[in-house]
Amino acid sequence: MRTKLDKNILWHLPLILAVFLQLWPIIFMASTSFKDMNQIFTSTLNPLPFPPTLNNYVAVLEDFPFWTYVYNTFLIATLVTVCKIATSVLAAFAFVYYEFKGKETIFNFMLLTFFIPITVLIMPNYLLMSKLGLLNTPWGVILPQIADGMGIFLMRQTIRGIPKPLLEAALLEGAGAIGILTKVVLPLIKPSAIAVTIFFFIHSWNEYFWPLLVLQDKENYTLPLALQMFISAEGGSEWGIAMAVAMLTSVLPLLLYLFCQKYILSTFLQSGVKG
Amino acid sequence: MKNIEFKAVKKKYDETTVIQELNFSIKEGERLVLLGPSGCGKTTTLRMIAGLEEISEGQLFMGGAVVNGVAPGKRNIAMVFQNYALFPHLSVWENITFGLKIQKLTEQEMTKRAKEALEILNLTGYENRKPKELSGGQKQRVALCRAIVKQSPYFLLDEPLSNLDAQLRQQARTELVKLHEIYKPTMIYVTHDQVEAMTIAQRIAIMNKGELQQIDTPENIYHRPANTFVASFIGTPPMNLLSAHVRDHWIFIGDACVPLDASWDKVIAGRSRIILGIRPEKCLLAGEKPMVPAEVSYVENLGSQRTLRLTLKNHENVFVSTKDFTQTANSTKGFSFRWEDVSVFDYKTGVNIGYPIKEGGKNE
Repeated sequence: MRTKLDKNILWHLPLILAVFLQLWPIIFMASTSFKDMNQIFTSTLNPLPFPPTLNNYVAVLEDFPFWTYVYNTFLIATLVTVCKIATSVLAAFAFVYYEFKGKETIFNFMLLTFFIPITVLIMPNYLLMSKLGLLNTPWGVILPQIADGMGIFLMRQTIRGIPKPLLEAALLEGAGAIGILTKVVLPLIKPSAIAVTIFFFIHSWNEYFWPLLVLQDKENYTLPLALQMFISAEGGSEWGIAMAVAMLTSVLPLLLYLFCQKYILSTFLQSGVKG
Repeated sequence: MKNIEFKAVKKKYDETTVIQELNFSIKEGERLVLLGPSGCGKTTTLRMIAGLEEISEGQLFMGGAVVNGVAPGKRNIAMVFQNYALFPHLSVWENITFGLKIQKLTEQEMTKRAKEALEILNLTGYENRKPKELSGGQKQRVALCRAIVKQSPYFLLDEPLSNLDAQLRQQARTELVKLHEIYKPTMIYVTHDQVEAMTIAQRIAIMNKGELQQIDTPENIYHRPANTFVASFIGTPPMNLLSAHVRDHWIFIGDACVPLDASWDKVIAGRSRIILGIRPEKCLLAGEKPMVPAEVSYVENLGSQRTLRLTLKNHENVFVSTKDFTQTANSTKGFSFRWEDVSVFDYKTGVNIGYPIKEGGKNE
């Protein structure tokens, strides 16, 4: 018993440290957002705001077009997510359901896209968006992201887990491909599809680099871009306000994750186990 | 006419031929069982009828029309899968009416059919349950229910009873036959279980290595097997197959010399070696003066009968089933048989060479 406990402590120490390191910036962010300027720049370590103030939040909501940024971000994240999940499910279904020449080759090429660094794609994508006249519009951010190799891969793994006789039974009952997809496949992969949808949404919501390149006018900015305004020299490093924006930015993804945690975990576990 | 006909049908996967030229037909309203060992191509054959496997060569006729290119959903087929393939996210009722909704039947007709089927299969009251809340036997009945509500002229079953325990299986067999009597569809049933085949089938098609070995009534399959494969596949223990030499009017089994019955003269004429097939229950234990002397090497008690393994001098084994518990194994000196209980096969090909023609021109 004793040795088991010792062993557990040994294992837990580095894990606790890792969790702390992960959480520290978030705690720091939350705490700073409730502090006024004087508390932020004290010489002593004051992890908790005393007294807490809501001034930063009031400033953000009153003096900045915060809701415009929320709308921009939400529009882009929603459209990107809808497009990505639709293409992922449709492509994955085709990879499982249809037999066609070169199926494996196409799938393997698609897997290769995982390994292409995003920086390599930025030039061609930027030029393409520029030629299409989509720079400085939400569409320029959305268009290059409507399909996702990882999404197709995850959905394919899930659909492959559905026993083939189920699809055949539906086929014999007279259902067509669309019928099988909507009446049999989608209800069965719902948990995984929800998880991947949330994953896509959070990813798109937090995206910084690509919108930074495409969006130039401030009124088109998304939340992560707006955040940068408060930290740069221009905003005079308003840490309290910056942290309040950061807090508000992370609320939605955090809530989404908390509510759908079980789907997300099971999906990633499943993709590792099944093959 | 809702018959099914195979004309030179072959199935190939790349270069491997898994079904060699199939030629046979299934009559309208018939109960045909496809029987054979694992990997013999029986399920592939069934799936070709269902349209779930493409036909590589030849033609498949259903109701007189070629259906090679017809989609599974358009063949008007009901099928029961080995693992039932019930939709786990739908209730029993939704599972049963799944196909009917696609067929766009009226609500009234749908309810009528589903209720009737549920009643026949004793499932009333289970309509709102999900498949995971059902036992194996109930799932199997829901699968049957889903198949019969379609009232298709073709009813395909792929080892539907293999996941049930022995007791339920017997009950389900009776239910299946009863169901068939009600709706009279053309029924094709795949199994590797010979008891199922013998009890359910009106005709059995025995397959091996992608080839049809024999298609006939259970009676003929059992008593007049077309070749040594069928003879040894059907029956527990299987038919005894003894190699024998023929000289003049005598045949030699082991070191025994048995006079050839005159009725067989014409059939066996010209052959020097044959394979003699005798069912274990047709072998008669002999205490004194057996036709073929042998020693008892093993006795198995099955409760209602005993199976004795006799070993001939040439080390060939013969199984004898007997209900006689009085005769002790020790006093057995060998076995005898009657010539009308014998099948004779070609020594090289194993094909049944036929039976003596009875006087009056009719087969025995």
